[in-house]
Amino acid sequence: MGSTQVCLLMLFFSVLGVILEVTLGNTSDDSHWLLRIKSELVDPLGVLGNWSPGDDICTWNGLTCSDDQTYIVGLNLSSSGLSGPLSPDLSRITSLQMIDLSANSLTGSIPPDFGQLQNLRQLLLYSNSLSGKIPEEIGLLKKLQVLRIGDNMLTGQVTPNIGNLIELRVLGLAYCQLNGSIPTEIGNLKHLQSLDLQKNSFGGLIPQEISGCMELQNFAASNNRLEGGIPASLGKLESLQILNLANNSLSGSIPIELGHLSELKYLNLLGNRFNGEIPSELNQLSHLEKLDLSRNNLSGTINLFNTELKNLEVLVLSENFLTGDIPKFICVRDSYLWQLLLAQNKFSGNFPLELLNCTSLQELDLSGNNLKGELPPSLDKLVNLTDLLLNNNSFIGTLPPEIGNLSALETLYLFDNMITGQMPTEIGKLQRLSILYLYDNQMSGSLPRELTNCSSLTEIDFFGNQFTGSIPPTIGKLKSLSFLQLRQNDLSGPIPPSLGYCRKLQRLVLGDNKLSGSLPPTFKFLSELLLISLYNNSLEGPLPESLFLLKNLRIINFSHNMFSGRIFPLLGSDSLSLLDLTNNSFSGSIPSRLSMSKNLTRIRLAHNLLNGDFPSEFGQLKQLNFLDLSFNSFTGELPPELSNCTNLSHLLLNSNQFFGMIPAWLGSFQELGELDLSTNNFNGTVPPELGKCSRLLKLSIHSNRLFGDIPQEMGNLTTLNVLNLQRNNLSGPIPPTLQQCKKLYELRLSYNFLTGPIPPELGSLTELQVILDLSENRLSGGIPQSLGNLVKLERLNLSFNELHGEVPHSLGKLTSLHMLNLSNNHLQGQLPLSFSGFPLSSFSGNDKLCGPPLASCAKSSGLQKKWMSNTAVAGIIVAIVFTATVVCSVLLYIMVRMWFNWRMVSISSSENNKLEHKREEEKWVYGDHEIRTGEYWDVNNMALVPAQQRESPTTTCIFHLKMSTESSKNSFA
Amino acid sequence: MEAFTCFLSFILPILLSPTLTISTNYEGNALHALRSRLSDPNHVLQSWDATLVNSCTWFHVTCDSNNHVIRLDLGNSNISGSLGPELGQLKHLQYLELYHNNIGGKLPKELGKLKSLVSMDLYGNRFQGKIPKSFANLKSLRFLRLNDNKLSGSIPRELTTLSNLKVFDVSNNDLCGTIPVDGPFGSFSMESFENNRLNGPELKGLVPYDFGC
Repeated sequence: MGSTQVCLLMLFFSVLGVILEVTLGNTSDDSHWLLRIKSELVDPLGVLGNWSPGDDICTWNGLTCSDDQTYIVGLNLSSSGLSGPLSPDLSRITSLQMIDLSANSLTGSIPPDFGQLQNLRQLLLYSNSLSGKIPEEIGLLKKLQVLRIGDNMLTGQVTPNIGNLIELRVLGLAYCQLNGSIPTEIGNLKHLQSLDLQKNSFGGLIPQEISGCMELQNFAASNNRLEGGIPASLGKLESLQILNLANNSLSGSIPIELGHLSELKYLNLLGNRFNGEIPSELNQLSHLEKLDLSRNNLSGTINLFNTELKNLEVLVLSENFLTGDIPKFICVRDSYLWQLLLAQNKFSGNFPLELLNCTSLQELDLSGNNLKGELPPSLDKLVNLTDLLLNNNSFIGTLPPEIGNLSALETLYLFDNMITGQMPTEIGKLQRLSILYLYDNQMSGSLPRELTNCSSLTEIDFFGNQFTGSIPPTIGKLKSLSFLQLRQNDLSGPIPPSLGYCRKLQRLVLGDNKLSGSLPPTFKFLSELLLISLYNNSLEGPLPESLFLLKNLRIINFSHNMFSGRIFPLLGSDSLSLLDLTNNSFSGSIPSRLSMSKNLTRIRLAHNLLNGDFPSEFGQLKQLNFLDLSFNSFTGELPPELSNCTNLSHLLLNSNQFFGMIPAWLGSFQELGELDLSTNNFNGTVPPELGKCSRLLKLSIHSNRLFGDIPQEMGNLTTLNVLNLQRNNLSGPIPPTLQQCKKLYELRLSYNFLTGPIPPELGSLTELQVILDLSENRLSGGIPQSLGNLVKLERLNLSFNELHGEVPHSLGKLTSLHMLNLSNNHLQGQLPLSFSGFPLSSFSGNDKLCGPPLASCAKSSGLQKKWMSNTAVAGIIVAIVFTATVVCSVLLYIMVRMWFNWRMVSISSSENNKLEHKREEEKWVYGDHEIRTGEYWDVNNMALVPAQQRESPTTTCIFHLKMSTESSKNSFA
Repeated sequence: MEAFTCFLSFILPILLSPTLTISTNYEGNALHALRSRLSDPNHVLQSWDATLVNSCTWFHVTCDSNNHVIRLDLGNSNISGSLGPELGQLKHLQYLELYHNNIGGKLPKELGKLKSLVSMDLYGNRFQGKIPKSFANLKSLRFLRLNDNKLSGSIPRELTTLSNLKVFDVSNNDLCGTIPVDGPFGSFSMESFENNRLNGPELKGLVPYDFGC
């Protein structure tokens, strides 16, 4: 029995051995599975070419066999261009210890069957296109030491089973779409050295348990959504060399325990919400090389000392709320610090002189602080400096000549300071200088010719200084220059022809200077030019024809110069988006070529001498939103093609000689905010379709030959601020629908033939402010009481109509009114008391008005009665005459002579008033306060006694009052 | 804000065209800063393109012939948010029309720098806090309408020096103290002060100015 038992036992073990051998791997079976895997893969590079059934599997490309060639231990096909699914069949080759399929284009999910690969020590699947979740079965791979599956499209949470992989050294899950929180089980991974979770969507807290990973050297979890504070337990990770938690939502203060991480070389917490002070315990990190705490809410002063942090190479604390002086010992002699970025904090004080000992510095950024004082001349001690950024501070004084000694300098930002004085000629020594931004300072003097020795310059921006003199004629030496901005200085003289040799120039901005002369023909060489802006200079003459060679131009702004001739040379490009030639002396017609630039959004040609018809080709410019052709001599009708430009927001065609009808299709311009067709020869009627322009803010069609009614549909323009229809031949009533234009602050309908009453509805336009001008029409009826609601109205002109009745006393409530003209109507009765401050001329030409400033009503009515009975009047006059002495009659004679003189003055001045009227109003709106001393209107000038009153004699006032109203009536007629 | 301006002045010249005036176009800057403080559901500020040389072609902004902003018309525009100190940079502004909106917060004292201002219409908003004393510097001001807000504190006595002031309306606020009687205040009707916690006209020499406030 015993022997049979032994035999059975032996049999059992031998069977077990066979079975074990099968599970460990059988190369013939393996080849079967591998060939199946091969058949599923796309292999454009042919790396699987020698995988053929006849050959020894151990010679197959990418496979590694065990020493005795009996089973497969490794599969390495990284960067082999493979695509297709990651096959579950791979799990059949259980002998595999290492799989590296990284950097291919494998798709599908990680098969759960991989959990069978019990011998696997390394699984490298990073940089593929794998998707789906990480299978829970991954936790079965007890021997796994390296798991790198990042840079895929993996989603979902990380299984807590990951904590079972107790042999794990490297866990790489970066650059996926993983979410959920970091599993606390991660703390079980006692041998973990590298944990990379960057660029996922991990949220929640950093698990305190991470302190269990006692051997951790690299912990990178940047660019996630981690919240809460850094657990103090992190300080126990004594082997940690790299800690990168940048760009999360971590908050609280930086734990002082981080000071215990004595091996730390790299600490990056940028882009979180850490607050409080920077703990001085960080000074204990003597191995630290890179420290970035930028873009947090850190406050207080800097307590970091280069004397402790001896190995520091990079220190970035930008974009916090740090205060105080920049500390003396932030960078010391013999330091390794080459990058010191402290931008956009609240540092104050002067430029820290101690910093100048830190000769290792290559990049120094102190921009956006409150630093003041002068730039130290000994700045040149920083001999290795390549980037010096001191912009947006309050530095004063001059740019020290020693700057020329910084021979490595590539970038110099000094913009937005208060630097004064001249630019040192020594700047020309900076042979590597590429970017020089000095804008928004108060530098003066001329631009030194030496500047053009800086042969590496690519960008110059000096705008907003007070540089004088001319642009250096040698500027053409700057062969690399792509951007030159000298806008808003006092530069004069011509544009140097050599500028045309800066062939790399893309953007040239010389606006707001005093440059003169013409454009040099050498500009034809600027073939890369995208933008040329020369506005507000005194440049003149015709444009060189050769400018037509500039095919890449997108933005041209030559406005406010004295250029003349044709605009054709500017139209070589088909890429124009903005063309502004406002206020020059360009002549001729608009070339149809302009419409080749289909991306044009703004065309501004106002105030030139252009003529000809409106180019119908503009209809192709679908992007056009701003078209200003005003103040030229264009003629003809508006072409129907223009109706395609439905994006127009500004259409300004005023002061030309356009004629024909105002087209009804303007009503389809739904973006239109300002339409100005005034001062042309348009005739016909006002199209009711204009009422469809629902965004219209300003509508000016005055001074044309329009006739017919004002359409009711104007009332649909509910956003309208300004409506000006004056000086046409419009007739019919004022449509009461205008009351719907509740946002009107300016309404002018004067100089038309409007009839009927003033609609009482106008009284609901309570935002009317600048003016309500209905003068010079044929309006009849009374002044509606409702106009008394226009409490913001500053000017009201109802003169020269046929208005009857009394002036409603409600008008007395118009407390904002300071110009009033009711003259030359048929008004009667007593004026509201508050009108006493207005001049007589506001009411003249109304026979029966009374009350201050006119004669008091009692007296006036008495006079009228006497006027009725001629005999009584005659009797009184006779009585006066007869009771007067000879001297008195002589006096009367003198008075009459005086009146004749005055009448001549009165006629001429009232005519002037009429002519100057419009201009006067405009000037008033534009803030020319002096103009408001015009006697015709202003209330405040009553104290100065207007001309008419000054002349009125005291003894014969009854006569003169009557005669003066008559005379003024004559003069207006 | 500092960060934003810095960002603009730094990035825009690089990214966009340099026709933009960001740093020295103080008026455009000020308006752009205003826009950044306002919420604008009706998109009335859509045309406020910061890349343009000046802001004169923006809707609701009116300039004079020298391209200085003289009018800002945003009444009844359904905007909310608050005003900032930048508005004080609009040195040529004559009309500030922000009436009937939902703008809240305090009235920036910097509004007192608007030397050319003729009319300040802020009525019908949610402004709170005090009427800044700096308004007494608005020597050109003729119309000051602050009615229908939530303003508190007293009417600054300094405003009596505004000799051009013709209209002053603070009705429907939460103001307290006495009503000045000097200067232009002698001619304002009582309606301009109603619905406050005001104690009536100041009795000169007898009652302290801020009595009961």
